[in-house]
Amino acid sequence: MLTIKRVETVVSINQQLDQAPGCGRDCLGNCCIPGAKLPLYTFGVKRTSGFNKRAHSGSDDHCVPEDTGDSDDYGNSDSQQDNYFLDELLLAQWEDRMVRGLFRYDVTACETKMLPGEHGFIAQLNEGRHLQKRPTEFRVDQVLQTFDPKKFNFTKVGQEEVLFQFGPSEDDISEYYEKAPVLASPNVVAINVSPIEYGHVLLVPRVLDRLPQRIDQDSFLLALHFAAEANNPYFRLGYNSLGAFATINHLHFQAYYLAAPFPIERAPTTRVAYGRKKGGVKVYELTKFPVRGLVFEICNSMEDLSEAVSNACIYLQNENIPYNVLITDRGSRVFLLPQCFAERQARGEVDQEILDTQVNPAVWEISGHIVLKRRTDFELATEEYAWKLLAEVSLSHERFEEVKAACLKAAFEQNSEVVLADTDGFSTVLSNGGTYNCVERANPTLKGSQKTNSSMDAVVPGNHGEGLSVEG
Amino acid sequence: MSLDCNSRCLDDSAKLKMARGRSLSVSRRRSAKLEELVESLSRAYNESVGQALERHEYNFVLSDPRLPDHPIVYASEGFLRMSGYERAEVLGRNCRFLQGPGTDRQTVLEIRDAIREERPCQVRILNYTKQGRAFWNLFHMAPIYSKQSGNVIHYVGVQTPLSPNLASGVPSHVQQVVSGTVKELVEDQSMETGAISGGCSQPAERPINLRLRGGAAEGEDMGQEEHNDNDIDEDSCVVNDVLKEKAALAMRLVTCELTQSSRIKGDLAQNRHIALSECATSGVVCSSLMISLTRIQQSFVLADPNLPDMPIVYASDVFCELTGYSRDEVVGRNCRFLQGPETDPKAVQKIRNAIEKEQACTVKILNYRKDKTPFYNYLHVAPVRSSVGKVAFYVGVQLEVAEIDTDMSQEIGMSAHAKQLGAVGVVRVAVRSLQGSGLRRTLKRTV
Repeated sequence: MLTIKRVETVVSINQQLDQAPGCGRDCLGNCCIPGAKLPLYTFGVKRTSGFNKRAHSGSDDHCVPEDTGDSDDYGNSDSQQDNYFLDELLLAQWEDRMVRGLFRYDVTACETKMLPGEHGFIAQLNEGRHLQKRPTEFRVDQVLQTFDPKKFNFTKVGQEEVLFQFGPSEDDISEYYEKAPVLASPNVVAINVSPIEYGHVLLVPRVLDRLPQRIDQDSFLLALHFAAEANNPYFRLGYNSLGAFATINHLHFQAYYLAAPFPIERAPTTRVAYGRKKGGVKVYELTKFPVRGLVFEICNSMEDLSEAVSNACIYLQNENIPYNVLITDRGSRVFLLPQCFAERQARGEVDQEILDTQVNPAVWEISGHIVLKRRTDFELATEEYAWKLLAEVSLSHERFEEVKAACLKAAFEQNSEVVLADTDGFSTVLSNGGTYNCVERANPTLKGSQKTNSSMDAVVPGNHGEGLSVEG
Repeated sequence: MSLDCNSRCLDDSAKLKMARGRSLSVSRRRSAKLEELVESLSRAYNESVGQALERHEYNFVLSDPRLPDHPIVYASEGFLRMSGYERAEVLGRNCRFLQGPGTDRQTVLEIRDAIREERPCQVRILNYTKQGRAFWNLFHMAPIYSKQSGNVIHYVGVQTPLSPNLASGVPSHVQQVVSGTVKELVEDQSMETGAISGGCSQPAERPINLRLRGGAAEGEDMGQEEHNDNDIDEDSCVVNDVLKEKAALAMRLVTCELTQSSRIKGDLAQNRHIALSECATSGVVCSSLMISLTRIQQSFVLADPNLPDMPIVYASDVFCELTGYSRDEVVGRNCRFLQGPETDPKAVQKIRNAIEKEQACTVKILNYRKDKTPFYNYLHVAPVRSSVGKVAFYVGVQLEVAEIDTDMSQEIGMSAHAKQLGAVGVVRVAVRSLQGSGLRRTLKRTV
């Protein structure tokens, strides 16, 4: 077992409190939810897939092109591209929480700068983000861990930290409800009380279901929708697996605004030839960037993009390879980054000077946005330092080639062979080595029963009887 | 909530019908009016500019980053022919209508960042005509600066299509076949351009940062499948030095005409004379910041506390509509001109106290329009910090309310006050990255 010690980031005020379940605290537990009202945003879902026009005709500068009421250039009119309501709502709600003093510090008072050089790494001096408490031990060699209800999770978050519920509309129109009842299985957007940047929020899919930190098809698609609906190229989503510096083992994505490109977005790429175009997704590989990774781009279907990336993530999870995901460009470009920094740190292979800066390279750092705790580190930060730090994160060339090949196979060949299971569910799906999620998709009742199980045994692959093999 | 409508969803939607819901009105952003487009040109250039620009056969546009959505304010005949649009369809719109399904996203990011960094760029980008035909375009963009304010007045965008078959209506997947002839045609044209001597031409020292994506994927069906713009053969559009020079020459000539036609003699330049950080200290709101500000649909002002008497440095259109003042009448003055005889001094003091403590505050205050009519202003004031963490502006967001006792909490959907906070949020995100030097690269660029 490999572990490292690090200071846990406090993302919610209740996280600092003792573990008493939060009655009287207006949390999201069963004690406080009944009768609670939270805002709700439902996003319109097009049932037929057309290409993601928003990626092209949405604003580059946050503005919508003049709308004369005529049909647009592509021969059909689409009012969704004019929709900036979620963006406005997020900012308004976040500012409201700022006025109410819910954040541990004012992130806009933290100095930030772009490091000299062509890559444009961004460094921030943030002395308030990390508590001065002693570091806790984190296991770094197990990407899939069972949900532990005794530890802090997002049902313990105070309702005031929740900005709104977020989910699909029944049609293609987005709607907003100022005061809505809490839905049966809501996805929520909550503030991160130790923000990295303005607007830093957490997207928690199916919060009440207490899912552990692992990507599945539905949650990833939800994240893409969130990025697309916000309709802002400077609003990005990130995901850290366990072992890649996720702090909390409760399924969540992060997001925030920064009106500048990340170095990873600028990095040149080469197109990866991958098999059939049926995948409806373009794949690239990063070049001239310290971390090796894949870039998936939408062609015309968000569902195709989501399926490919989440299949690749599921493969990595099952193979116990820690990884990070960055969603950019309104949900049309996704970076998949397997990493091994924590493992190397546990083995004592990381340069001590790098460790002294106490940077945990999670998705934002890998993207090129680095938060530093000490002023000296901030003053002396250079592009060389950033490059050196990130080089320690990357898989080696050989290892990445292996992982890349396997990921692409998983991304594009998996789903075409999933068959609908009979009631037995377990034995017929596995022609290509099904994962837990393939079983889930094939057999809806399993999902249903998973809900009523205790959170402990629902999430461990291989616990559902013989015949279920995890792809090796 | 799964994305399939299962039985839980129906229960939820039944619940929702009881809640006070509201379909989102599509938030239409204001676009520039025709007078603004005209004024954008006449303010910067003298009358001879129209003729001067018409002399050239190049494809180019001028855009103004200080108008809503950075619209095109001038389009050459060549541009209209190339793109297939009428002038009226193009003026007032942002250039992005030339993009389409196959346009590379990183290239768009490159252009967006050049505007953010207020510098030139040259990219090879896949564009589309009005008829939907794709063509490779060597797109060269450069700012025109005012020497006096340091601000970007316009961006010049020069388009050099890489396929000569555009006008003949050849479908794009056939263009791959004729790619061999491109080189010859280009060489023919270069003989003409070589003969043109621009009066102010300089050798093209600007390093051309050309974004070229990696080669087309092998193993992908190209051209044999149904026409799919995503598979445009990138190798068919070679950007050789001759073409680059042609584009650079076009840019030089057009820019030259513009700077020589400056209304204020000698004011316009191809190069920045005042650094962005200096602009900020003199109260000039740079164009890249203004692009973000013009998207805000509320009445608001930015005031600079680092200048004497904290003057307004930016006022939104809605503010001008609300108060009856023009922007010129307002910029440079402290907002107290909105106060009048019946304004409650306690409200004024509350604002002053908040500013002293660098805090936000909300007050209901009686203000007066230019025509002296009073109105109640539900005013929210907040400090806004730049990347160095210091207060760069105070933002004041005004909301006209009917009476002093209006209850602001009874609204459906996102309340008006929430929208005020939303405006503050937009300003915060923008100012953090774009005020002063902000989060921009400090590259050495040859001039």
